[in-house]
Amino acid sequence: MLSEATMENRHGPPGVNSRSLSAAHSAADLEVLREIENVYFQPSSEFDAGRYVLEHAPTTSCDEIEQVFTKLKRQQQVVSGKALHLISQQRDNCDKEFKEIQNIREQLTTTLQTCQKAREQLRAASNHLTISTFVILANFRKRQIIRSVLKSLELLRSLRSVETDVAELLLKKEYYGAIELILKSKKAASSHKEYTCIADLATRLQDTLDMTEEKLDAILASICYRFDEIIFRKLRKAYALLGKTQAAMEQLHMHYSSAVNESSIEAVKNYVGDTIDMKFQDMCMSVQPTKAPICLLNLCENLFLIMKSYYLLVDWHAKYDGEESIPISNNVFEIEKNVSREYIRQKLNAGLVRIWHDVQAKVSTFLKSSGLEEYPFEKFIQMLGILRKLTQVAEVFCGDKSDLLQDFIKTQSVLYIKNYHKGRMEELKLFLENEGWEQCPVKSTFNLLNLQEFKQFKKYLSVRSDTSLVKTQSDGASSVHSQDDSVYISKYFKQNTSHTPFEIFRCENITNDDIFGLEPELVSDDSDDEPEELKRDFVDENDRLPNESPSKVKDSVIVTNTTLSVLRHCGQYLQICRYLPQISLEVVMLMNQLFDYYFFTAHLFFTVDLNVASTTLYTPKLNSVLKRIRNNIDVANAGDVDKIPCPDPPQHLNLGIEESLHGLSERIVAVESVIFLAKQYEILQPYLESIVSSHQRMILEYFKDNTLAVVQDLRIPVYMCSASKAVDARTALIAMSQVKWDVKNVAVEHSAYVDMIIRKIQVFALRLENIATKVTLNSEILNSIWSTLSKFIVHLLVEGFSNATKCSNGGRGLMQLDYRQLFLKLEKISGLKPVPFQDYVDKYVKAYYLPRKGLEEFVLERVEYSNKHLMALVTCACENKKDRQALSAIIESRDSAV
Amino acid sequence: MSESYEYLFKFLVIGSAGTGKSSLLNNFIGNKFKEDRCHTIGVEFGSKIVNIGGKSTKLQIWDTAGQERFRSVTRSYYRGAAGALLVYDITSRDSFNALANWLRDARTLASPNIVILLVGNKKDMEEAREVTFTEASQFAQENELMFLETSAKTGENVEEAFLKCSKTILAKIETGELDPERIGSGIQYGTGTSKRLAAPKKPARTPSDCACHV
Ligand SMILES: Nc1nc2c(ncn2[C@@H]2O[C@H](COP(=O)(O)OP(=O)(O)OP(=O)(O)O)[C@@H](O)[C@H]2O)c(=O)[nH]1
Ligand SMILES: [Mg+2]
Repeated sequence: MLSEATMENRHGPPGVNSRSLSAAHSAADLEVLREIENVYFQPSSEFDAGRYVLEHAPTTSCDEIEQVFTKLKRQQQVVSGKALHLISQQRDNCDKEFKEIQNIREQLTTTLQTCQKAREQLRAASNHLTISTFVILANFRKRQIIRSVLKSLELLRSLRSVETDVAELLLKKEYYGAIELILKSKKAASSHKEYTCIADLATRLQDTLDMTEEKLDAILASICYRFDEIIFRKLRKAYALLGKTQAAMEQLHMHYSSAVNESSIEAVKNYVGDTIDMKFQDMCMSVQPTKAPICLLNLCENLFLIMKSYYLLVDWHAKYDGEESIPISNNVFEIEKNVSREYIRQKLNAGLVRIWHDVQAKVSTFLKSSGLEEYPFEKFIQMLGILRKLTQVAEVFCGDKSDLLQDFIKTQSVLYIKNYHKGRMEELKLFLENEGWEQCPVKSTFNLLNLQEFKQFKKYLSVRSDTSLVKTQSDGASSVHSQDDSVYISKYFKQNTSHTPFEIFRCENITNDDIFGLEPELVSDDSDDEPEELKRDFVDENDRLPNESPSKVKDSVIVTNTTLSVLRHCGQYLQICRYLPQISLEVVMLMNQLFDYYFFTAHLFFTVDLNVASTTLYTPKLNSVLKRIRNNIDVANAGDVDKIPCPDPPQHLNLGIEESLHGLSERIVAVESVIFLAKQYEILQPYLESIVSSHQRMILEYFKDNTLAVVQDLRIPVYMCSASKAVDARTALIAMSQVKWDVKNVAVEHSAYVDMIIRKIQVFALRLENIATKVTLNSEILNSIWSTLSKFIVHLLVEGFSNATKCSNGGRGLMQLDYRQLFLKLEKISGLKPVPFQDYVDKYVKAYYLPRKGLEEFVLERVEYSNKHLMALVTCACENKKDRQALSAIIESRDSAV
Repeated sequence: MSESYEYLFKFLVIGSAGTGKSSLLNNFIGNKFKEDRCHTIGVEFGSKIVNIGGKSTKLQIWDTAGQERFRSVTRSYYRGAAGALLVYDITSRDSFNALANWLRDARTLASPNIVILLVGNKKDMEEAREVTFTEASQFAQENELMFLETSAKTGENVEEAFLKCSKTILAKIETGELDPERIGSGIQYGTGTSKRLAAPKKPARTPSDCACHV
């Protein structure tokens, strides 16, 4: 329901006319109006009043419907009245408005006329203005056409000068600009085909492009020899513009390959006469051996430059790719670019190893065809040094351990050392054959450390007996330095240096230690070891003749020229070991062979005239060592190439002169120099053990125990040659056979032959003194000479006594008297106390007194006596024939038992 | 091995100490020159194959110590030398004065037909010269020696000295004046020739001379 107020506002009479109605009437009407349901005020389109009434009509009784009907009728009358009233009220207003509309229509008509007039006037004005505008427009267009013609003309002119411009740009290293210019010109030319004047310019430009690309290629090739970052950057840009980045890299790799080839040839060429049509290998073969080291140096240096260039190239790419790498992109072009970059990166990395292999192949070819093993030592060492440096370079370059080259170095070293050794052995043979076996005047304190060749080894070697002082720090030579080396070598791979790691080899006074990067030898405390000092150090300065009494001579150093020469060789062998630690054992074995040869020769030369059958002269060890050495020597002179040629006995040695005791002086020098040499080798042993690997030490120990320790045994057989001629055996035996051994009584006087022998011994002593003026004889030497002589004498005596078929007690006594007298004198002359080997004769003579049982034991056990000696003994000692026969049988069976 | 040659000549280098004998040899066989060289102890040795008149010849060179005390030791190497370089130092009159002694030794100890070439060494030290070229030439002429001045330092005339001496020996062989077959001639046929010196007979060993049993 609407509120009363609203009702009133809405249905209240709008005009003043309502006031004319009677108040009662209007009040009732208002009441009726107010009672009208609100719904009836809706517009008729939306509200069907009839239907509404019907729907809401009461259904109960007719009266009620009548009531509603009346009410509605009343309501309708009121509403109609009211509406009529309102319409009449608004009539005046309507008329007034209408008049107003009429007025506005008239005004519009005039306005329209005014507008039409204005338009007409405007049209006339615009007609007057248009023509001048057209002229302006036409002029403007003309200018534009002329301009474009001018542009074309200018273009044509520039097209004509493209070639010179490109050349200029190239000269200025503006590769990118050059390529850009050509490409642009090409495009322009093809888009201006209508100009006949440049019709064939297009093809010319293609030629220019081709030529320029060729030039770029040449510049690219030059990168192989010297990598220039700026130029390379420019080239790369230019190739990128051409869209040939990848192709250019392929090309560059080919250039590197041929650069390796060409610079190898370049390095060798100068050392070969006629190089036309020669292969690299042939060229290498015709390099003169003397020029080979310098040639190898050039080769390595040239190849290094290429390696360096490539190294920088790879390095540059690593950096550059870092700078420019673009993260994942969807752009197809970018993806392609990234793929190409990755490809190049892999190619570059693989290239490192490939180039190194190429380089290695070149160097190997050179080495293989250069006959390395023929080089002088210094040169060989130098070559090794160069190769070693090259392997170090390779390690920095591509991390390769150069196994190929290392193996090559090792096998070549072994070959070299074998060949070198062969030469040394030939030389040693010559030396021995020419040796005068005179004592070389050196100081009594001389040892191998005095030789210049051992200067480097002083700190490792000690001549003192406490071997704990011997430091064994030598075997780190090859590995310790490698860390530093790589840092050192890397420096040479920097772009801004023009130096190469091989330069040091050009230096005149480079030492082998420099070459191998070994520690320089520290100048030790005895630093006044100047060369001056060194060279005179061991020479016997005072020209002292060894005429002092022999017994006073304590240290005599007996060396020959050849001994010194062997020692010098040893020094050189050890130097080789320093530089080639991996073949130390081989070298040491060869060094030992030098000793063997010297030892063998001394024995060979100075026992040729040994006229004493020898079973006790040679110790078993001496026999076996001589046998061992002989097995390697071509004793039969059969030209056996696997064996060492046997030295020819020298013609200038005269071992037959009695006055000089049949060359005793030479014999002493020979034997004692062998002994001295053995001592020097012993000094070296601890050092040698330190340079070979531990499982190889046994070999050295074996040599020490079975060769070096045995040389003293050489004295007896050699000195026996002279000693056995001191007394002429035949004469002595004849003299002894004339003595009557079956005398009844014991004589008071010794036999005459004793004096004869003593006289001979005295002569021997005199002559020996003579020798002592030429050769320093210490007591050891003298003792061994005298004891050899006594050995001879006792054997002579036993031989003589055994010639006696009949012997009495008295005879046995005379024998004792005789040899006592002899030994008494010998003791005085020789100074030996007691004279050795007396037992030999003493036992023999006294066995005569043994009972049958004792005699049997004697016969069985005493193998040092010959059957003949024992037979004679038995014959004299046994009066009983049966005993004699039994013992004889025992003696005879001895042979088969042994 | 490339060691093939037709002849082998034994050579001596003799003369007073410090005259540069070792330097000459070292220069000849291709080693570096050293300013401070040690005196030679006893003898040293070097060899080289050279081509003389189309014949490859091995020179076996003995470099002897010049110091007096080594005389006895070096003597044994004189025997059977075919050629010798007799060296003095042009800057030392003493070394020149000693030549006569050295010459006598060489003529008596070595092969009588020995070819000797007089060498005046240290030619590079002209400012210190004490022995003139003419007087040395005269000495050479009087003693029937060939003569050259050399420098082991610069290498001047070093190879020439050895070659000249070798050529003369070869010429003498060809005229028959020297007989390579004669023992002690200091000449041997090498591996390149078919003729070969028979190996000297070794004295036979006669252990049974004596009845002694030792
Ligand atoms: N300036 C110059 N010096 C030389 C020459 N030859 C040798 N010398 C020097 O002379 C000194 C002695 O040279 P060596 O070759 O040892 O003399 P050497 O004759 O062998 O001496 P010994 O072995 O003692 O007989 C060394 O210092 C050499 O450097 C030369 O031609 N010129
Ligand atoms: Mg010398």
